[in-house]
Amino acid sequence: MASGRIQVRVPNDLWDPSETEEGVIANWFCEDGAQVEQGATIAEVAVEKSTYDVVAPAAGTLTIAVPQDGVVQPGTVIGYIAMG
Amino acid sequence: MPSSRKLTVSRAMSEAIAQEMRADPQTFVMGEDVGAFEGVFDSTLGLLEEFGEERVRDTPISETGFIGAGVGAAMSGMRPIVELMFVDFIGVCMNAVYNLAAKNTYFSAGNCKVPMVLMTGTGGGYNDAAQHSQALHATFAHLPGLKVVAPSNAYDAKGLLTTAIRDDNPVVYMFHKGLQGLVWMASPAGAATEVPEESYTIPFGEARTVRSGRDVTIVAISMTVHGALAAAEELATEGIEAEVIDLRTLVPLDRDTVIESVKRTGHLVVADEDYRSYGLTSEVITSVVEAHPDYLKGPPQRVAMPDIPVPYSRPMEDAMLPNAERIASAARHTTGRG
Repeated sequence: MASGRIQVRVPNDLWDPSETEEGVIANWFCEDGAQVEQGATIAEVAVEKSTYDVVAPAAGTLTIAVPQDGVVQPGTVIGYIAMG
Repeated sequence: MPSSRKLTVSRAMSEAIAQEMRADPQTFVMGEDVGAFEGVFDSTLGLLEEFGEERVRDTPISETGFIGAGVGAAMSGMRPIVELMFVDFIGVCMNAVYNLAAKNTYFSAGNCKVPMVLMTGTGGGYNDAAQHSQALHATFAHLPGLKVVAPSNAYDAKGLLTTAIRDDNPVVYMFHKGLQGLVWMASPAGAATEVPEESYTIPFGEARTVRSGRDVTIVAISMTVHGALAAAEELATEGIEAEVIDLRTLVPLDRDTVIESVKRTGHLVVADEDYRSYGLTSEVITSVVEAHPDYLKGPPQRVAMPDIPVPYSRPMEDAMLPNAERIASAARHTTGRG
């Protein structure tokens, strides 16, 4: 089983930051420290009243870096998953 | 799957509908913007994509037509889930609801069932004015033949909706817009909860005691559950321990849980976002005093919307909502400590 830590990011191409400066974390669906499965929906980013589901890039223990209502941009690291 | 998966109320509702639609091909959804838009209050997320236009049907803006069609479909053996976007719009389709859905089982001596869910958005607190902010709980609870549900959190929202869809009688499922977890409307922290992936039901008519206390019973439903819990926290700092009961359903109404609690606390506050007069608050209080006039040691309190149209103005609306501050004030008053 792989071990190490992987970043949870807002996708770089989710929106054009020259048109819309920032988005927010609308919801976290897991608590800090929760065990998550790869591919599970763990957060929701809101941009201009639209929402985007963030899925876990790996299975492991979630650490939240940007809390609910925190401001994000494309590429922002919003959390980490400790694998293995 | 993660054991600690949290869902918003809207996602919990959508999941309940999807699971019931997978289990029964007679189950379908219709309403305004339930398809590509996935519900104005996110109650039909992912359904069009999975089930297609035949079973997730966008309707014209004609509640009179499509809610009548829902009653007919239910009586013809289907299990429709019909969304009335705002409960405030009920006026134009009331005949289908209270003279057809609510009565046809009786008229047919039980030969025609009406397994329909009318799900509808309720409540204010976001400055949407008098025709988009009402709760109207009692309008439906007053009419024999309808079951009426109003969840306060995601776990209950999924279990109660599953029970509603499987019920052979018409169920009015009233979800508060401010609990849905929408990105454009803040919801209280307790609304999103852990929700099991697997399907489950919650029986109607079973209130849940969400906080235990010895000094005063606060009965709440839907949004006021969160205000009641916040009030209880505040009261605890003053030495008043409040018991908070979430009714979860108006019909059937779990009078026994309330009576048992009041027997211990001797004081009663009832909080509801519907209008004050002729409403849930009066019904609950009467249920106690009619059966046990000796239980109450202080005057029972109603915390509800004043009997006026809901104002558009933010300060004016804030001044009338049955919030934590007003619930706490009522609890202090009835216990003689305020």
